[in-house]
Amino acid sequence: MRPQTRWLTLSACGAVLLCGGAVRVVAQEAHVDRLTGRAAAGKPLYTRYCAGCHGDEGDSRGENTQWIDPKPRDFTLATFKCRSTPSGTLPTDQDLYNSVTRGFVTTNMPPWVALTPHNRIDLVAYIKTFSARWSTAKPGTPIAIPPEPAPTVQGILHGRELFQRLECWKCHGAAGHGDGPSAKTLTDNKDDPIRPYDFQTGTRFMCGTTNQDLYRIFMTGLDGSPMPSFADQLQPAQAWDLVHFLRTLQPLKTPEATIWRAWFTTHGRELKPIGQEGGGQ
Amino acid sequence: MVKRFLKAAAPLATLVCAAMTPDRGSMPAKSYTAAYAALTSRIPAFARKYGLRCSACHTAWPELSAFGQRFKDNGYQLGNDRDSPIWQNNAYWPIAMRTTPQYRVENTTNQVTVASPGGKTITQAGFDLSGVDFLLLGTLYKDITFGLVPTLDADGTTGLEAAFVRFDNLGNSPWANLKVGKFELDNLLSEKRFTWLSSNGGFLYAYHYLPVGSANNFGFGDNQIGAEFSGHSINSYTRYSVALLTGDDGEPGLPGGKSVDAMFTASRAFAIGSGLGPQRVGVFGYLGHRPTVFDSSGGAPIPGTGSANKSFVRFGATAQLWVGNLEIIPLVSHASDDAALGPGADKPAWNTALLEAHYVATPRLLVQGRYEVMRMSKQGDPAIPSTQGNADAFALGVRAYPFMFSRDGMALHAEFAMTKTIGTAPLSGDGSGVDPATPTTVVWSRSLLLAFDFAF
Amino acid sequence: MIARVVAGLVVVSVAGATAGPSHLPPPAGTISGKVTYTGTPPKMRPIDMAKEPACVTDHPTPVMTQDVVTGSANSVRYVVVYISGGDQGAPAATDTVRYDQKGCLYIPHVAVMQVHQPLEIFNDDPHSHNIHPLARVNPEWNKSQPKGAPPIRTAWDQPEFIPVKCNVHPWMHGYFAVLATSHFSMTDSTGEFSITGLPPGTYTVTAWHERFGTKSQEVTVAGSETKTANFVLTARPY
Repeated sequence: MRPQTRWLTLSACGAVLLCGGAVRVVAQEAHVDRLTGRAAAGKPLYTRYCAGCHGDEGDSRGENTQWIDPKPRDFTLATFKCRSTPSGTLPTDQDLYNSVTRGFVTTNMPPWVALTPHNRIDLVAYIKTFSARWSTAKPGTPIAIPPEPAPTVQGILHGRELFQRLECWKCHGAAGHGDGPSAKTLTDNKDDPIRPYDFQTGTRFMCGTTNQDLYRIFMTGLDGSPMPSFADQLQPAQAWDLVHFLRTLQPLKTPEATIWRAWFTTHGRELKPIGQEGGGQ
Repeated sequence: MVKRFLKAAAPLATLVCAAMTPDRGSMPAKSYTAAYAALTSRIPAFARKYGLRCSACHTAWPELSAFGQRFKDNGYQLGNDRDSPIWQNNAYWPIAMRTTPQYRVENTTNQVTVASPGGKTITQAGFDLSGVDFLLLGTLYKDITFGLVPTLDADGTTGLEAAFVRFDNLGNSPWANLKVGKFELDNLLSEKRFTWLSSNGGFLYAYHYLPVGSANNFGFGDNQIGAEFSGHSINSYTRYSVALLTGDDGEPGLPGGKSVDAMFTASRAFAIGSGLGPQRVGVFGYLGHRPTVFDSSGGAPIPGTGSANKSFVRFGATAQLWVGNLEIIPLVSHASDDAALGPGADKPAWNTALLEAHYVATPRLLVQGRYEVMRMSKQGDPAIPSTQGNADAFALGVRAYPFMFSRDGMALHAEFAMTKTIGTAPLSGDGSGVDPATPTTVVWSRSLLLAFDFAF
Repeated sequence: MIARVVAGLVVVSVAGATAGPSHLPPPAGTISGKVTYTGTPPKMRPIDMAKEPACVTDHPTPVMTQDVVTGSANSVRYVVVYISGGDQGAPAATDTVRYDQKGCLYIPHVAVMQVHQPLEIFNDDPHSHNIHPLARVNPEWNKSQPKGAPPIRTAWDQPEFIPVKCNVHPWMHGYFAVLATSHFSMTDSTGEFSITGLPPGTYTVTAWHERFGTKSQEVTVAGSETKTANFVLTARPY
């Protein structure tokens, strides 16, 4: 009656508490569109393109890692920044494929768009062999993104209020310059320093370029980084308002920026500043 | 290295190339030697800058992979907003060097010498050196690229193989890039990023052949001076370039006068199959002019006074096809020169076809072979035997890279190459370097090369 | 097993000794003892909360760091003592473990729980926190919890000592000690612990401290006796 054996098993797990599970499933597959990636095919490609930074064992201990900042992803942790899935869940194959294709701006990870789609999906399959989580857990369910409403001044103002209330400014700064009071002390999940996105550079985001990508970034969070998920805090309409406001922080000719700047020239003085003493609006 | 060895045959080469170089007299050229075939761009400085292994940009260095092609097309930028030098560590210096200590054996039949006017076989063997190429390439600023390739030949001669500035992504579009200076033509099958090094294997007849007695000096494989406007899709699968070039085959100092050549290339790659790269097909064309009359002073032609320009054309098609780790590169081309460029009263024309295969067993092992045929379709003079100038070239090689990381590269290189030419000296310049006794004499030239090819 | 359903009991683990859940049926032994250190421990330092004025107000005298909290006679607080070998007791408790973010501190500094046991994380502060458990075996996640947001309800599937941090307030640092066993205790300010409700048997008892590592010893419990097991951890300075 006593489930002793089961507990013994669990206690064995306890004994290797911090070992990330070294089981390699080389039969791993990945699927995007009609392509099937196979880990066995991805392995030589990984050696060719990836291992210099991510390491032969996927543990981010390649020969270049010491020279790189921010550090390359440690695949043995199965924690990924750019996901369509909720914080704490595994990304979809498409998410990983998109990351490989897109690369990461302001890092050493280049866009691998010149590789054939087949090569890229094979790489994704191989990346999934570095953590046992890929065989014990399923990817999360992608968050739903309702259609984007047209940007309005009211929406942008509301988004600005959220930027204040959710304290985005503590890291990203009152003007989105990536210079909030907490920006300098940010570290990632390996205790390496990391910088928040600076909206004023106008570069693409870590996980894409579109408004949908921006929506997804703060709703799913960038796991492993200090950027948390706001999915529990925002309704879709609020999230779109925040997206529209964030766009006004970039020095780009976006529809949001056009609406906002037109309004701001006449009403700018009515706004309370964002920040510690600010009230948002 | 071919270049270096050709310098050994320099007195002769100088003579045969002289026609377009007014201060060297006006003796008509015959086979233009393949001077600038071998060395250039495999660039550890980029690997150090970006922390990528050689194998990221090169299927087997120095040959570019699709990723490397995109990097080059993008102005040596990865596109992460960290390409400008202001983001680099101060200690970073955009310089790489390459050289190739080697042992080689050259064997050439039917060589005319003073002692054997009827021809004899000459065998040359020993340890040798290639020259050194210094590869300085990078970005001056975001979307402003520079390139500088000084060369130092083993005999001490210096040169400037490339020197250019390139403005990338004009109007934020990858379809518009402007390069000005001396640079390699946008050849899909690049001789500068060739995996062949021997004197008979390290060049293509398609890129250098000229009819016996021609006064032309053009070679596709030679870096040219001019301006190139080029563009590509985001992944560089679609590419094009057009260039205007000073008409003297890359010789500085405006000796060619005001004549301008034009070059066009276009290629498209398709992501078909699961091979190491996409399937690419492309076409290229070149319309050139060479002056046939120079004003002179004291018997020497005056640079810039050339007139009576006569045209020549080159065009062809090529491909890079992947089946797994096997790359197949076919190339066909057609060439014809104006009759006034020699050697006779007719327009000479010729065709080449080649098939090159690379088996990239791993990022650290390459097995390769090539077969090329060159056939005269029409001689410039009815008196010339129809087969004179025909060539067959065959090469087989292995390159092994004992290590592969992002700081530098080394390859153990073994190559055997063999050419058969009729009535003309092989383009390698091996042997005595002069044409055989009769226009129908067959010359076999063979190269065996064992080399340590390294780049830092 | 039924004993586990000591229904509705909410273990509010306020900083101090956490009583391990116990089996009802006798005989039930107890292992208790004291955890001390040898060597020189790092000093606790005052936390500078200047970045969050509300939290400065909350603490008229500066709070000290809590990763190494020592008491008299070299006692060590926040040491999790648990059965790593032997009877593992009951499966997941259904009572909820509460973890608070209050005054820019995690309360308790170390929250001990079983796998699958419900965990509720509260933000009692008038500003945002992000709660970022740096799990390795379990999935790592990172969620924002603004002022007034409802508690985050979660649980962990695998045994693991999970560091927890708030990226906005870099001094905020705590632990989730997720255990396979239901037999556990945590040392109080005097370094004392007590694991109760142990059936007769031989146990491997392990003491874990976030900076001083782990030590284990074997203890045999026969009947309803109380055995003493003291641990001496080696202090490692920073």
